[in-house]
Amino acid sequence: MKIMHRPKLNWLTFLRMYLRSFLLQSSWNFEKLQNLGFYFMILPGLRDIYGEEVPEDVRERHIDYFNTHPYFATLVAGTTLRLEAGSRVGEEPSVDAETYKSMVMAPFAAMGDALFWGGVRPLAALIGLLIASQGSLWAPVVFLLIFNLPHLFFRGSGLMLGYVQELHAIETVQKCRFPDLAIRLKESTTILIGVLCAYLSFKGCEHQELPAVWGFVILPIVLLFAWLAHKGVSSLFLVVLTTSSLLLLALLF
Amino acid sequence: MVAVDYLLAGMISVLTGLDRVALVQIMISRPLVAGPLTGWALGNPLVGLEIGMLLELLWLGRLPVGAAIPPDDTQVAVGATVLAAGTGHFVGLDGMPLVLLSVLIAIPLGKFGQVFDKLARQVNDRLAVSGYNALMSGHTAKMERCHLLGLVSFGLASLATALVIVLVGTFVLFTFAPVLIGAIQEAGLSLQYSLILVGAAVLLGTTNVNRGISLFCTAFIGTLLVLWLR
Repeated sequence: MKIMHRPKLNWLTFLRMYLRSFLLQSSWNFEKLQNLGFYFMILPGLRDIYGEEVPEDVRERHIDYFNTHPYFATLVAGTTLRLEAGSRVGEEPSVDAETYKSMVMAPFAAMGDALFWGGVRPLAALIGLLIASQGSLWAPVVFLLIFNLPHLFFRGSGLMLGYVQELHAIETVQKCRFPDLAIRLKESTTILIGVLCAYLSFKGCEHQELPAVWGFVILPIVLLFAWLAHKGVSSLFLVVLTTSSLLLLALLF
Repeated sequence: MVAVDYLLAGMISVLTGLDRVALVQIMISRPLVAGPLTGWALGNPLVGLEIGMLLELLWLGRLPVGAAIPPDDTQVAVGATVLAAGTGHFVGLDGMPLVLLSVLIAIPLGKFGQVFDKLARQVNDRLAVSGYNALMSGHTAKMERCHLLGLVSFGLASLATALVIVLVGTFVLFTFAPVLIGAIQEAGLSLQYSLILVGAAVLLGTTNVNRGISLFCTAFIGTLLVLWLR
């Protein structure tokens, strides 16, 4: 049954969906990945649009396979609900909710992986490590703040942006140039790795009462290990190799 | 360490384990946070911080993408902290050698985390089918319950991993500590720095950036020169 006015979602519904987004992956499974989680997240919105009894066809199209980056899921949810609200009053957008979801989830997943897992997280970890190397217990707090300020803002604003801008949200995301931002963050991370390695080399020389110039010896070793890791050699093997070499040297000399 | 401490460590193991995938994902699951948190619960946050530092970079480049399951560095951090802050003094060890030994024992045991995590996701396969059927037959509340039950399987997987690390780790610690401790005390700080450097090298190798090597070398040389000449 169609209605005359597009149903509106109130702020409490947005808040409930925002909180439910933290449970998106609670039942992550190999078969349909985040399917239950996505439905669980948008359920308060669907209830505002359709009432307590969500129609069977709507249930069917939102319980199907779903997989995107967890922080981008709210953006997908916002637009999906706006499209559902439109279809409730008979609007016929260029793309329906189901097609929209299948269209954006993979690109958003790739974008989120590069930005958050590949960009923000390593950068925050490196800054945390540099603080931790001074023995400060503020390190985990700083790490959590650097990572979560953009994360929590992104989840909330994504939900609102998706709902308010509908399909235009995709253009807004494109304008934000997240892949470029991810590259800049990775470059910053690479610089911080260099700073951390140099600092540890210097401290190692100080401890061994060697001139700091010996610290440069570490550079080719780190590059060799980086090359091995790049070629797929596991971290575990590199740890075993390093540990056994150092223990052997310690026993011999 | 008393039973309450073990109970607290268990709760932290579950909470941080859930944060990896199933709940919130605010990164309390990272070793840099999980280590100090466990250490704080056991009355020694600095030990946890040292363990977190050693482990943080090792698997940071392994992205939790799609069906890929990286080694469970969260439970490695929790388990190693329990070993170092709780069990170690029974074998007459303390300080950095105990931290290093605990980490070296816990790292390979982290592989169990992948096994338990995979099992949890397989259990969730069944929950997803039940949830789907419940929803399609109009039982929305049952679908929601099925979804939230997934938290139990992920939580149990985390706890099981931590238990394996602590139990097997304690056995290995008691068995091999007398043999290895001399060499570890000798290697000491060099081993500590080297493990962090291995993590940094792995992260460098897995971060795909154009000009990455140039940026790294410039930063390394520049920083070392500043520290040397200051």
